[in-house]
Amino acid sequence: MIAKNVLIGFGANPDEGIERCMGDESFYLKLVCRAIERGPFEKLLDAITGNNLDEAFERAHALKGVLGNLSLTPLFDLSSELTELLRNKLGGYEAPAKKLIEKRDELAALLSGLG
Amino acid sequence: MIKSHKNFHSQNGKRLILIADDEMINREMLGNLLSADYELLYAEDGEEAFEKILRYHEYLSLVLLDIMMPKMNGLELLAQMKKNPSLGQIPVIVVTSDQKAEVDCLGLGASDFLSKPYPRPEVILARVVRTIELSEDRQIINATERDSLTGLYNKDYFYSYADQFDQYHKDYKMDAIVLDVYHFHMINDRFGNAFGDEILRQIGLRIRESVSIDGGIVCRKEADTFMVYCPHRDDYSDILEHAAVGLSGTGSVSGWLRMRMGVYADVDRSLDIERRFDRAKMAADSVRNNLRKNIGIYNEAMHETEMYSEQLLEDFATAIQEKQFKVYYQPKFDVRPVVPVLTSAEALVRWQHPKLGLVSPGVFIPLFENNGLIQLLDKYVWEETAAQIADWKKRFGISLPVSVNVSRVDMYDEGIIDLFESIVKRNGITESELHLEITESAYTQDSEQIIGVVSELRKRGFHIEMDDFGTGYSSLNMISELPIDALKLDMLFIRNAFKKGKDTRLLEVIIDIADYLSVPVIAEGVETEEQLNVLKTMGCDMVQGYYFSRPIPANEFDAFLNDRKKQIELEGQSYSGFSRYNPSKKEIVFGKITHALSAGFDYIYYIDTDNHHYVEFSAQSSKESPKIERSGLDFFEDMEKNAELLVYNPDVDRVTRALRKENLLNRLSSAKSFCMVYRLNKNAPEHFSLRAARANTNDDHHIVIGVNKIDEHSEAG
Repeated sequence: MIAKNVLIGFGANPDEGIERCMGDESFYLKLVCRAIERGPFEKLLDAITGNNLDEAFERAHALKGVLGNLSLTPLFDLSSELTELLRNKLGGYEAPAKKLIEKRDELAALLSGLG
Repeated sequence: MIKSHKNFHSQNGKRLILIADDEMINREMLGNLLSADYELLYAEDGEEAFEKILRYHEYLSLVLLDIMMPKMNGLELLAQMKKNPSLGQIPVIVVTSDQKAEVDCLGLGASDFLSKPYPRPEVILARVVRTIELSEDRQIINATERDSLTGLYNKDYFYSYADQFDQYHKDYKMDAIVLDVYHFHMINDRFGNAFGDEILRQIGLRIRESVSIDGGIVCRKEADTFMVYCPHRDDYSDILEHAAVGLSGTGSVSGWLRMRMGVYADVDRSLDIERRFDRAKMAADSVRNNLRKNIGIYNEAMHETEMYSEQLLEDFATAIQEKQFKVYYQPKFDVRPVVPVLTSAEALVRWQHPKLGLVSPGVFIPLFENNGLIQLLDKYVWEETAAQIADWKKRFGISLPVSVNVSRVDMYDEGIIDLFESIVKRNGITESELHLEITESAYTQDSEQIIGVVSELRKRGFHIEMDDFGTGYSSLNMISELPIDALKLDMLFIRNAFKKGKDTRLLEVIIDIADYLSVPVIAEGVETEEQLNVLKTMGCDMVQGYYFSRPIPANEFDAFLNDRKKQIELEGQSYSGFSRYNPSKKEIVFGKITHALSAGFDYIYYIDTDNHHYVEFSAQSSKESPKIERSGLDFFEDMEKNAELLVYNPDVDRVTRALRKENLLNRLSSAKSFCMVYRLNKNAPEHFSLRAARANTNDDHHIVIGVNKIDEHSEAG
């Protein structure tokens, strides 16, 4: 319950995410923790800084799908924005990518603070 | 078998779904949602998904497919599935946040879409259930409209889809095409049915690949025959070549397997669809056995043949009514006496068509055989013949048996025996005067049924001649058990034997066989004096052919009866016909043979010491009813070879020496019989006893050798 409130406070919609998990809250939280693990976000940033834009698009798109399914709205919105930038090759990818990582770190800190 | 029955996973009765998504969290969410009701498989990239689809395609009820995946994306995977008919039937729900991809996915056969983020679980479940239901319903329809082996349409649905195509594309020029594989049965015989099925699947797949681009449709009509209905094209070779890749990809069979194709181009739409494919088939038949050409195109000449055939079929009923069919008679002579004796005749039908003139039986008989009219024609000929036999009997006082042809289809007619009985009674002749010619191939194709009918006919007194002997594939064993009264040697057989580089050895063996079976041999198609004399020397009993007379109308045949009548008046009724042949002759001959050897042998060789021909009998299954195992042209040569191969090494010389012709005859000139024991089998020698004696028959040039296995301790080599 506490975690759910933290997520609500973060701007996510955990009720919607839990519903997608057939009402299984602990299963949902387990997936949320896994979704924000270090790795995929960093690799996305690496691909952007390395100018591997196709890879970056695929990674952003993949993250968007997962974050959307878990209704982690602030992260989903950022990943969506980034995905569209990459899809349309509009440039200016690095700032939203970094912001995405910051926001991910913020959520990770909030959740880890719960012990 | 309706495929949906297989869709339940065997262990827990749940349907099987594959979830293909590279993100583990997505896989787990869907898995969590579906696992209560479905058995699940997972794949984390396109290649793994495809590999699992291939492996489980028979059981898969649904694929949930992410579009953006590593190695092979969802669109590529859909395209692969669409190419393969057995995978193309599995429904796929594409899961994507990319709405633009939806059109592409639909084009590739996706059944439905799920958006990301996922909708509510009930929505996903409802869509999964609905998609599977729709797919299974469709599969039930497919099971009836498609050939289960190739996934192509079956014939009926193909025809109705072709009709539908015509309705919606009235301005298209269309082609009807038939393809088949030469000697396909040989693949099944040599490599097994599973291998043959795979080849048919490959061929079907490739034909579809070639024609579906233009909207063409394909069906497997039967066995190895495929039909294509497609918009007109100018070049057909690519379809044939692409289809034939299905054969060449099979390694060991490539090279000797060929396909052929018949095209009826720019079809006449006023013809019904089946007729259009009859024409394509006719075109395919035109290149049969043509090594240089494998595509036949329906043309004007074929059209004329077709029209001609149609006219013949249309005119058949009138021809019967108006007695346009004329029965001609060709005499058969017994050539054993110095002056050949007329003994019987064969009835042969001719068609005196009022407009077309004399139509060749080579044209109308195969035509009538194909559509069942032959039975009516046969019956007509039998009636006419029986009446003619009665007429000759009345006018000349001579009973001249006449043989009539009995088609294979007649033999399946339940009323055939009663029909023959009623014909002979109605015409006041006896059963023995109507000889029935039944082709050898009829015996080999459904021997049990045919033998049953023939045995009953013989029991009633009808005389049975096996026609076209030498063209079928009768085994010696089978022939020795067949209920027949005469063997007729096929005309082509005679012609071939006397062709350039004359080789009459096979002819001699067949005449020998007939002799051992105690049935007369009738040689058909004898044209020259040389042929007649050679056949006589070989022991042929009766001859029919242009040498004596072509088939002639009944009134002309009167001359032969007049001659015969004069012959009888001069010589009296001394000619006894074929009385030397009686049903038990075979057993009598064999009795004499075994008597010569005191019986009890497993194998017996009956050898003509003049020409070295021999027949091997086996008495293993029944001592009373010996079977002919094989025959050969040179006993002494064959024995020498066999001794080398089969006899235990230390005994080879002794056996070889003893079985030389001069040694054997020497021994039998001084003793009634001669005996020896030897060992067979190189690795584990077994003792055999051999006894040779002169045949106790009227001739003095046959010897008999009996062989049997003996207890190894009773006598030693």
